[in-house]
Amino acid sequence: MSIARRSFCLAVAGIAVTIASGARAADKIRVVATTTDLKALTEAVGGRLVDVDAMARGNQNPHDLEVRPSLMLKVRRADMLVTNGLELDQWAEVVVQGANNPKVVLGAPGRVDASQGISVLEVPTARVDRSMGDVHPVGNPHYTMDPGLAGPITANILEGLARVAPESRSAFDQNRREFLARLDQAMAGWTQTMEPFRGARIVQYHPLFVYFFTRFGLVKGGSVEDRPGIPPTPEHLVRLIAEMKQGGVKLVVVEPWNDIKLAERVAQEAGAKVRVLAPSVGAVKEADTYFAMVDYNVRTIAEALR
Amino acid sequence: MRRWIGVPLLTAAVALAGAFAAEPAAAQDAEALRRELEQMRKQFDSMKESYEKAINNLSERLQKLESAPPPTPPPVTVAPSPPAVASQAPPATPAPSGTPSLMDLARPREPFSLYERRGAGQLLFDMGITGDFIGNLTQYNVQQAQGGTFDGLENYFFPREIELNLFGQIDPYARAEVRFEAGQDTRGESINVSLAEANLTLMTLPFNTQAKLGQMRVRFGLSNEIHEHDLPFIDRPDVLREFFGDNGLVEKGGEVTWVPSLPFYLQFLGGLFDGDNETAFGLASIKYPLVTGRVRTFIDLDEWGAIQLGMSVANGLQPDRLNNLILGWDMKYKYVPEGWQHPLFTTAGELLYQIRRVNSSGEDLNGDGIPDTPDEKRTLHRVGGYLYGELQPIRFGFWSRFAGGLRYDWTEYATASGHQWAVQPYLSFLPSEFLRFRLGYKHTEGDTAGCCTNTGIGSARIKDEWFFQSTFIMGAHPAHPF
Repeated sequence: MSIARRSFCLAVAGIAVTIASGARAADKIRVVATTTDLKALTEAVGGRLVDVDAMARGNQNPHDLEVRPSLMLKVRRADMLVTNGLELDQWAEVVVQGANNPKVVLGAPGRVDASQGISVLEVPTARVDRSMGDVHPVGNPHYTMDPGLAGPITANILEGLARVAPESRSAFDQNRREFLARLDQAMAGWTQTMEPFRGARIVQYHPLFVYFFTRFGLVKGGSVEDRPGIPPTPEHLVRLIAEMKQGGVKLVVVEPWNDIKLAERVAQEAGAKVRVLAPSVGAVKEADTYFAMVDYNVRTIAEALR
Repeated sequence: MRRWIGVPLLTAAVALAGAFAAEPAAAQDAEALRRELEQMRKQFDSMKESYEKAINNLSERLQKLESAPPPTPPPVTVAPSPPAVASQAPPATPAPSGTPSLMDLARPREPFSLYERRGAGQLLFDMGITGDFIGNLTQYNVQQAQGGTFDGLENYFFPREIELNLFGQIDPYARAEVRFEAGQDTRGESINVSLAEANLTLMTLPFNTQAKLGQMRVRFGLSNEIHEHDLPFIDRPDVLREFFGDNGLVEKGGEVTWVPSLPFYLQFLGGLFDGDNETAFGLASIKYPLVTGRVRTFIDLDEWGAIQLGMSVANGLQPDRLNNLILGWDMKYKYVPEGWQHPLFTTAGELLYQIRRVNSSGEDLNGDGIPDTPDEKRTLHRVGGYLYGELQPIRFGFWSRFAGGLRYDWTEYATASGHQWAVQPYLSFLPSEFLRFRLGYKHTEGDTAGCCTNTGIGSARIKDEWFFQSTFIMGAHPAHPF
């Protein structure tokens, strides 16, 4: 057999294997989530009946993801798309437009906005404009940071999965109940760990942990960013350091994709510590599951404030 | 204020009671009247109590509003811990964006408070405005020849593109986009307003197809579909301006895309248009349409970046019904290191090849002014392309907002003989996501003396141009594809 013919046979075999593996995956409901948090929660509800992929990686800032055609390919094959909503992942719309998949366009049964029914925090009560930075006019979109909101989020996912596969509703419901029961148990531990630190003031780099703080009774003590998405000016940093000293702020938390060195300088000046938190599943090595992410954030803050 | 509400009510009640008392009633009626009066007093007391409660609520709200800092989003206060895990299904509509109640309407409010209470997307579509201003400096002879990159606007500062962009879903099956554009084409004259794009996209067609209908920037190659203010450099590449005109290929018609179910991304596109573009086609008839096609694929190299490859075709008739076929090949590579929020390095390029039938006049061989050979049809083969690279090397801090790039252009003239090349370094400064300034220098050389004049005087064969660009975005702006 000539080399050319052998190469051709190998290529055909490769394509056949790929298509076969695709067919195997087709038995499951193919879900794409915009973030790794939503991926983890969808897996919790869908269990073995779903095959979930995330568009943003855990260590990527989901505010401004680069729309690659490879994301369109993921969405092209999806039966369901789970978005964060609240204007965090608006780029998903460009992905959907390039994916040519009618199952997941806005209004389709396979489209889930996980923010439905969430009590949104930081909804502006006065008129907002871009002089305030990259503010979200419909409120803070980082609600997945609060494990207490897993209930309504998974309820939205459950409804979406049940629309796509109504025959499996009871299985999804059972999975969700089991997940929430485990979460309840873990929550008791997390609440106990954080109890001594209720009222502690913490500076964030970006207002990403507001829901987490609210859940565990922590107080936002300022932001390294002058305004959301706008790099800080020296005047703002001087003011922040003074406020931190005055308010006795002992901790600055930062996301892995932001300027950790700058956060360290601010903390050093103010006599505080810096800790990198996990703003999503997979953002840091220790936060590879939803439980591990919450656990990591709780432990990191508790150890730093101790 | 309490007294102000209470007094008239009391007066009314007393007057009513007096009226009843003034009745010439029999003694047996006195007891009944007394009971009625007592009942009214109770009603009045209960009403007074509810008003007091309402007034107290309003006073507290007013106090809170007055003590809150007005422009910034409200500070997060320590909220009482909500129940551990809310396992119940969420309400159908999110509470914060619900319909205002009667009490909400009665509350004193700022003008925008009701507007803000609208649900997300209640306007039903998004809108944004972009502004793009250009200033350019060049030699006097280039200005005389009106042969600069922005011909007729040399040594001038002008609004190139002020755009009102409206886009959103029409219904569950389709979305639409409308862009109005205003800009200055001629020195000192008023601004021209035009419809830049107006199209709808049917998103739920069978066989994983989508159709876009209306007026649009044709998806030919990389740069043609990009609006001026979104270009990664200051001016549209020379080859596109030479082959399609200053505005590029903007047409009325339709495009259909298909993404087959394959293990890798492949998008096929086919289009039918009027063929209005005067530079390349211009017959402007759907009976003999401009036919376009494009296929693009994408290779995701994960941490090593990503490459997009594409091939395009446009075939149509010119006003003299002679054919023009333009083929294009494009490539784009972007490298975003792990954890970065912007690309460290981007490079892209396009190559265009034109096969154009033209009428060639007979040649005057003996110099008597009369052509000695007959007119004939010829086929012109023309090539052009560009390549650019951009570097944004700093990850954080003030210097992270700077990006530097270099573009090289080489193109033959679409119908005349000869070619030109240009090199253009530029520097971008982005104070925020919504504001950008660019400074660029472009050196252009044409190889045919006198080739480059639109007025018959001066020459733009060799051009040195300095550009300044400022661009802003207000409101919504759709995310850009790769």
